Amino acid sequence: MESHIVRASDGFENAREPVDGSRVLTIRDLSVEIRRGDRIVHPVSGVGLALDRGETLGIVGETGSGKSMTGLAVMGMLPDGGRVTGGSIDFGGTELVGLPPDRYRALRGNDIAMVFQDSMTALNPTRRVGEQVAEPVRLHQGASKRAARARAAELLDLVGIPKPLERLDDHPHQLSGGMRQRVMIAMALACEPRVVIADEPTTALDVSIQAEILDLLDDLRSRLGMSMILITHDMGVIARHADRVGVMYAGRVAETGPTPALFSHTRHRYTHALLSSIPSLTQDRREQLFSIPGTPPDLSASPAGCPFAPRCAAATDRCHEERPPLSVEEDGHTHTCWHPVATAAGRTCSGASAVARPAVSPETPAVRGTTPRLRVVDLRLEYPVGGRGLLGRRRTVKAVSGVSFDVAPGETFGLVGESGCGKSSLGRMLVALNRPTSGEVVFDGASVTGMSARELAPRRSQLQMMFQDSNSSLDPRMRVGAILREPLAIQGIGTRSARTARARELLGDVGLPSGVLERYPHELSGGQRQRVGLARALALDPKVLVADEPVSALDVSIRSQILNLMLRVQRERELSSVVISHDLAVVRYLADRVGVMYLGRLMETGTTEEVYGSTAHPYTAGLLAAVPEADPAAPRPRSGTRVRGELPSPIDPPSGCRFRTRCPLATEVCAATEPALVTLTGTHKAACHHPLRLPAAQPEELSAR
Amino acid sequence: MSWYVVRRLAISFLVLLGISALVFFLLHVVSDDPGRVVLGQRASPQAVADFNREHGFDRPLVVQYLGYLDQLAHGDLGRSYKLNENVGTVLRQNAGRSAMLSLAGLILALLIAVPLGILQAVRRNSLVDRAATAASYVLYATPSFLLGLILIAVFSQSLPFFPAEASQSHSAWVVLTDPRAMALPVITLAVTSVAIFSQYQRSSALDQLGQDYIRVARAKGLPERSVLTRHLLRNACLPLITLVGTLIPSLLAGNLIVESLFNYPGLGLLFLNSLQHEDYPVLLAYTLIGGALTVAGNFVADIAVAAADSRIELNK
Repeated sequence: MESHIVRASDGFENAREPVDGSRVLTIRDLSVEIRRGDRIVHPVSGVGLALDRGETLGIVGETGSGKSMTGLAVMGMLPDGGRVTGGSIDFGGTELVGLPPDRYRALRGNDIAMVFQDSMTALNPTRRVGEQVAEPVRLHQGASKRAARARAAELLDLVGIPKPLERLDDHPHQLSGGMRQRVMIAMALACEPRVVIADEPTTALDVSIQAEILDLLDDLRSRLGMSMILITHDMGVIARHADRVGVMYAGRVAETGPTPALFSHTRHRYTHALLSSIPSLTQDRREQLFSIPGTPPDLSASPAGCPFAPRCAAATDRCHEERPPLSVEEDGHTHTCWHPVATAAGRTCSGASAVARPAVSPETPAVRGTTPRLRVVDLRLEYPVGGRGLLGRRRTVKAVSGVSFDVAPGETFGLVGESGCGKSSLGRMLVALNRPTSGEVVFDGASVTGMSARELAPRRSQLQMMFQDSNSSLDPRMRVGAILREPLAIQGIGTRSARTARARELLGDVGLPSGVLERYPHELSGGQRQRVGLARALALDPKVLVADEPVSALDVSIRSQILNLMLRVQRERELSSVVISHDLAVVRYLADRVGVMYLGRLMETGTTEEVYGSTAHPYTAGLLAAVPEADPAAPRPRSGTRVRGELPSPIDPPSGCRFRTRCPLATEVCAATEPALVTLTGTHKAACHHPLRLPAAQPEELSAR
Repeated sequence: MSWYVVRRLAISFLVLLGISALVFFLLHVVSDDPGRVVLGQRASPQAVADFNREHGFDRPLVVQYLGYLDQLAHGDLGRSYKLNENVGTVLRQNAGRSAMLSLAGLILALLIAVPLGILQAVRRNSLVDRAATAASYVLYATPSFLLGLILIAVFSQSLPFFPAEASQSHSAWVVLTDPRAMALPVITLAVTSVAIFSQYQRSSALDQLGQDYIRVARAKGLPERSVLTRHLLRNACLPLITLVGTLIPSLLAGNLIVESLFNYPGLGLLFLNSLQHEDYPVLLAYTLIGGALTVAGNFVADIAVAAADSRIELNK
């Protein structure tokens, strides 16, 4: 592969000739520094990117890669203490770096707009939706109150909000997450900007809603002739929605190129490693996930060589000492790597430590056939909301409505579903943190549910939980040593020195040095904290481990480290675990058997192969169709199979089948009677009147999907 | 909403009943011989006993309390021993004046503290912010009698701008038309409140400035001024509304010091004098009204927050 070398200052944007002068935005050699007290960090160093009219440029990277800061720099909205220290941002002939504030304000929201991640606080809680959408129109186009209101209604209609006129006077809290994100988009599009910067626009949303929002953005971009910068950490989103990609690492662009080329002929070692460490819905489950060792570098130091060198398997001395120059290939594919991946190399056998996963045949749990370690029998949880009305009937949220399953010793059961489906409530009941309204949890033959606190106490050590947010689940004022010793102390195990020894051993088990014992949680990185969370859960040598969204808060490269660690621990300790996640690929990777939950009920259960390979329930199929695969060549699923619309309220779930309101196959019978969980084949069960595979049908090849 | 109000009112009533009982019995423990108090140390034991019998002070406490409640139900707060006047009339005369002083102090404090707090939040860690914070701590730590004395020494003695004594008139009109006489007491009251309010407003504004909707507003291209007035102000004021509501009654009680310092005949001064003379019915009525104001203040604050913040529904 021939590649010529250009000086880094020439930047990436020159690598590609502008197509008939349709260049909208050119970022050249952009550097940003942020002063925080005495520390200066460099979140963006020498970034060059270009955006053409009508295209979507994806910027992908992990936390701290500088992707969001690049977007904010273009908006001229760097945080306090931040400034552009070099380079230029050319927006259709206007130089944005150093532009006077009032001229910048005239552009912002008018020619360049930004869509932020949905959070409860992204819209002003005390102002009406209509006013907020109308605000840019009044500001930039000087529209009258009435005209702006009409425009706001038009915009809400454009972004697919039903009955826009009625929604104008709503307050943000009256809208669902997906609706709020649509309002955000409407606000950004109010003045028909030339460039929209979407910063993690769907990260806080469920996968079915994410797919709708991204399709909406795609559609609007082409209809309104805008250009879009899509900033995300999700390679799948990039593969499906970006025309070109810039991969960022440690404030620098590692690789850019047209999306198909970047995925099929990945050149930079970082991109390659990143793609290899994403669990996918199609990979071979017997193979261990590739993981990048270490953590991203400290941005206050500026290393001489390639910033990825300390974590790179192919790094040589040169990588540590000299910064790699920009290499340009034909079709505008560029990268900065001394040892680019040979184009032909497939991703899955990536030279590095792709250790084969210990072979566990999918039948194992069934073969064991012994008494299950954990049995969940018709578990229900309802809790009242609000007060009694004058007439007294109290409304209840039906969080969990009759869920049953077993977990055998050494088996991992995956619970998957969208937010609000009751999976976390269920998880808390499994480890007796919450008591169910009815039904029972049976652990080793004894019902934990009916036990008094006194009877339960000795069993608690056997039932442990690992939480999603290690930031808030570890006491910030306790050192890691104390955190790990506490469970032992509570159960009265060992002397103090024995406990410390055990804590050190636990840290070793989760791959942390014993020096961590003396550290406080805030001194650790997210991945290290999650390891401590796992170590704490393992401290009492439990038989059952419930992990609630164990990797959701982590970056891709750290995520695969934790996933592999969990898999190893599960195998080594013969743990019965329940992994709860909204991420279908994570569950597929970790679990032997899977349960798909919707509005408090199990819709489908079976072995991982059965559920993912020969999906029976339309809901499962819809979820799978909505997951963007990190492969632009993957066929886009027909949008018909997707789950549409919003999750109904768990206070008043739909009659009959709870999924019918969003199901493409729903008929009258679905509204009338609730389908029972029926066995299709072997262990595969689905609760559906119109299953996608008939009970009689032969199971397909296990690796079919 | 209306159901909520009815329930809150009922609860408030019970709370007040409890307060009245508690105070009634406590005061009786402190001074159990009203006859001696009214007739003085030289009165004969016989005269004291006669007085107590005549006024029913020899009955069991519970009976006396029920009698008092009956009186209250008829809107009669009793009769002051010392002033020999109806307690209700005395309180009414003084309450208006106290309210005027407090309200003036409160409004002045809010007018200064809200913009100051927001300014401090926007210019966090700047010289202005640090200076204002330092001043707040000093002023907050200064007892109001000391502050009042300093103000008198400077602005009344050294620089004869304002009189040292507050207006003595019983007419609200006269007080209002003579603002100079009220300047020092109002400033004394306001300064302490500004210290609390501005710090409160600062931290609440800082919270809100970190929220995403502020970034969104900036991304729309709004000038910073509009970001602050249209988006920040209302959200940042919500916690302060609650605080002010709960403070209203204590502002009245705070008058105790300021009123006696400037010899302003309000409720605080009345309470102080009654305490010295063990003027039992006045003390009882004052405490009861204080309780009622506290309850009412919380109540009003809840309603006000609900009105300002659409997320809160008052049907819980």
